[in-house]
Amino acid sequence: MNAKIKQAMATYKRSPFSFIMRLMLILSITFTVGMLAFILIYILAKGIPYLSPGLFSFNYTSENVSMMPSIITTLMMVGLSLIISLPFGIFTAVYLVEYAVKGSKVVEIIRLTTETLSGIPSIVYGLFGNIFFVTALGWKYSFLAGVMTISIMILPLIMRTTEEALIAVPDDWRQASFGLGAGNLRTVFKVVLPSAVPGILSGVILAIGRTVGETAALIYTLGTMAKIPNSLFSSGRTLALHMWVLSGEGLHINQAYATAVVLIVMVVGINALSGLVANKLQKR
Amino acid sequence: MKKVLSVILAMAMVSGFTACGGSENTEGGLENAFNGTITVISREDGSGTRGAFVELTGVEKKNEAGEKEDFTTVEAVIASKTDAVLTNVAGDEMAIGYISMGSMNDTVKAVKIDSVEATTENIKNGSYSIARPFNVATKENPSEVTADFISFMVSAQGQQIAGGSYITVDDAAAEYTAAGLSGKITISGSSSVSPLVEKMAEAYKELNPDVEIELNTTDSTGGMNDAANGVSDIGMASRELKDSEKQQLSGTTIAMDGIAVIVNKANPTENLTVEQIKTIYTGEVTEWEELA
Amino acid sequence: MNNQTKEKLARNIFFAFALSSILAVVLISVFIFAGGMPALKEIGVAEFVFGTKWKPTAATPYYGVASMIVGSLLITVGAVIIGVPVGIFSAVFLSSFCPGRLHRVINPAVNLLAGIPSVIYGFFGIIIIVPFVRNVFGGNGNSILAASILLGIMILPTIVSVSQSAIRAVPAAYYEGAVALGATKEQAVFKVVLPAAKSGVLAGVILGIGRSIGETMAVQMVAGNQPRITFDMTKGIRTMTTNIVLEMAEAADLHRSALIATGALLFLFILIINSMFFVLKRRMNSER
Repeated sequence: MNAKIKQAMATYKRSPFSFIMRLMLILSITFTVGMLAFILIYILAKGIPYLSPGLFSFNYTSENVSMMPSIITTLMMVGLSLIISLPFGIFTAVYLVEYAVKGSKVVEIIRLTTETLSGIPSIVYGLFGNIFFVTALGWKYSFLAGVMTISIMILPLIMRTTEEALIAVPDDWRQASFGLGAGNLRTVFKVVLPSAVPGILSGVILAIGRTVGETAALIYTLGTMAKIPNSLFSSGRTLALHMWVLSGEGLHINQAYATAVVLIVMVVGINALSGLVANKLQKR
Repeated sequence: MKKVLSVILAMAMVSGFTACGGSENTEGGLENAFNGTITVISREDGSGTRGAFVELTGVEKKNEAGEKEDFTTVEAVIASKTDAVLTNVAGDEMAIGYISMGSMNDTVKAVKIDSVEATTENIKNGSYSIARPFNVATKENPSEVTADFISFMVSAQGQQIAGGSYITVDDAAAEYTAAGLSGKITISGSSSVSPLVEKMAEAYKELNPDVEIELNTTDSTGGMNDAANGVSDIGMASRELKDSEKQQLSGTTIAMDGIAVIVNKANPTENLTVEQIKTIYTGEVTEWEELA
Repeated sequence: MNNQTKEKLARNIFFAFALSSILAVVLISVFIFAGGMPALKEIGVAEFVFGTKWKPTAATPYYGVASMIVGSLLITVGAVIIGVPVGIFSAVFLSSFCPGRLHRVINPAVNLLAGIPSVIYGFFGIIIIVPFVRNVFGGNGNSILAASILLGIMILPTIVSVSQSAIRAVPAAYYEGAVALGATKEQAVFKVVLPAAKSGVLAGVILGIGRSIGETMAVQMVAGNQPRITFDMTKGIRTMTTNIVLEMAEAADLHRSALIATGALLFLFILIINSMFFVLKRRMNSER
């Protein structure tokens, strides 16, 4: 060990550049990881003491600002926007990979628009949702307006991961399926899609993560009502919005931190899940 | 390059710390020895708290053309929420801000206005000058259930709730009795009024279980626009209705609220005149020592 | 229905779904640009883009967003200066210097940094970074610098993950060749491998720029939001994104349209950044 260090020191004496670079590398990675640790520890320390059981009761009142309705709204939001977005995302990917002529104009345009969609900032989605769904279609601040906005936002995520997963399916499998007399359609649904499931799943997890943390796109579409929406046309608030509103008047700061803890736990959970799926993908 | 940068950073840190120490030393000295550039913290355009504040302190005044204009200095930090005002004032010794009295807490200090303390008493008798009404507004001929909820807000029960953190408008209001209505009411607007209306809505729903109330928090002007456009049944504003709004909406005052002018706890300033506040917010005065 | 018509039908259905992204982009463009049109017409494009005064609720209103364009650009440049070196070094560390076991811990941590909601970053910013800037650099802390630091942290994961995969894609022979010629590990990585991955790294940087110019909730809590031009990093400024989120609730008529026009302008910036990314990505693919 000692000899190893000595050898390293000798190298660095010969090349100060190497030494400086090594130092920068260590400093940078320490900064990156340190920041994450700092943020996590800070939020947990501020929030955990205020995580009372009351915050998980089913009824939100102005006295007990329960986050349960928001958690349920978040889950509903995730579920419904996935239901809308998944068929569009998956079928688009199927078209691009299995049907379209490679390099054709249509394919180019679809790629370009998908790329564009994934670069649009949340606030522009929120603005669009407010102009189109809330005002032009007259849905007002509603669950549906929020869901539609989010669905468009997560569409490129699902599209792209599915496309990658489909491309990764070996061509032999398709040939084999054709050879056994299956048509294109049958091949897609029985052979290609099933083996692309883990890839699609990783896209779904990414989309869930994005939805859970979203605020800018939802403030002016979903609104901020504190109860579980009881119809598609009633307003609601997701957990991230709940945290935003709670802190607003300075009346419930501690509860806002407690909400942040739950948000962080959700995000960590989602990330762990995505790590698991990624591992599974790599093993195959 | 990197080394140079880190050296600069280290130097900046050191000088930063010594600067802090310096200001602490002078603090303990003579009265009015509080020095430094004022950090003016304002709310966003459209906030009812800002609307009421600039009107009552004269920050909103007539321009050369004789039109009313908000002269808040462009250097003011714009905080979009009460919480951001509180956090900034609590952390910055040089800061001044304003918030609803209902949101006051002990991380900051409220100053007296023209030697009058911000208390319920003083607002009721009119001696504390920076107070504003909480209004709810509807279009002409609101639905039966909407009208019923508004009558609840100004009834004895409603006013009792208002008296909790805010100031009642009618201490001799009549008792409300539920008429057994059903339906849905959508409310949106001021984030200052919203905690109060939320409490009132809860009490109302206990008496009228078949009524559904949906409350969205935006800001005063937003609430008035929503009500005028039919996006919501009731709009909430933490200020008087503007003349243009009165043409489309009819307002009801459900409570009064003081606006507390707040400074950092380390700030020795105890009292400010309305005139001083005006000069701070219009940017004529930029240093604390100028107020001495 | 025979098989052939079934196949044909399926093909058409898939095609119809595939048009969804085109439809979405068209809808968004049309509504955002159409919504901003009245403001641009009434105010005048030059007056809107180069006007330095933003006073939408005054009796004689001004709608100039020049300060917000400057604000978005300054904050983004700051974020790039802070985030890009740290991000690239971190990526190099993870791809070339990190033992496998450590990598399995650090890499998910970096990904987690990307998953933290921007509201939480905003809280962190107003409570930690703003006072830090106030005490160390002076001013009141709500500043371009504070926003840049916060965004510098927020764009780290984007830069790290894209750069990392670009560096990994460089053939191992490059590295081995350099080491065989007597280069130290650092020399081989920084002078041979990293330059070979530069398109990919640049793509990561551009993605980071896109993210920081579009960030809203976190920025508005630390940037001070003053609608006037300044180049003093310790002073606050408003960005295009915060202008929208601050005033959208109350805006009506021309004011609302002016805010949508701000959104259109932001959209335009994003389109430019996007197409740069697209071009780079193509170049990267053709390099392989």
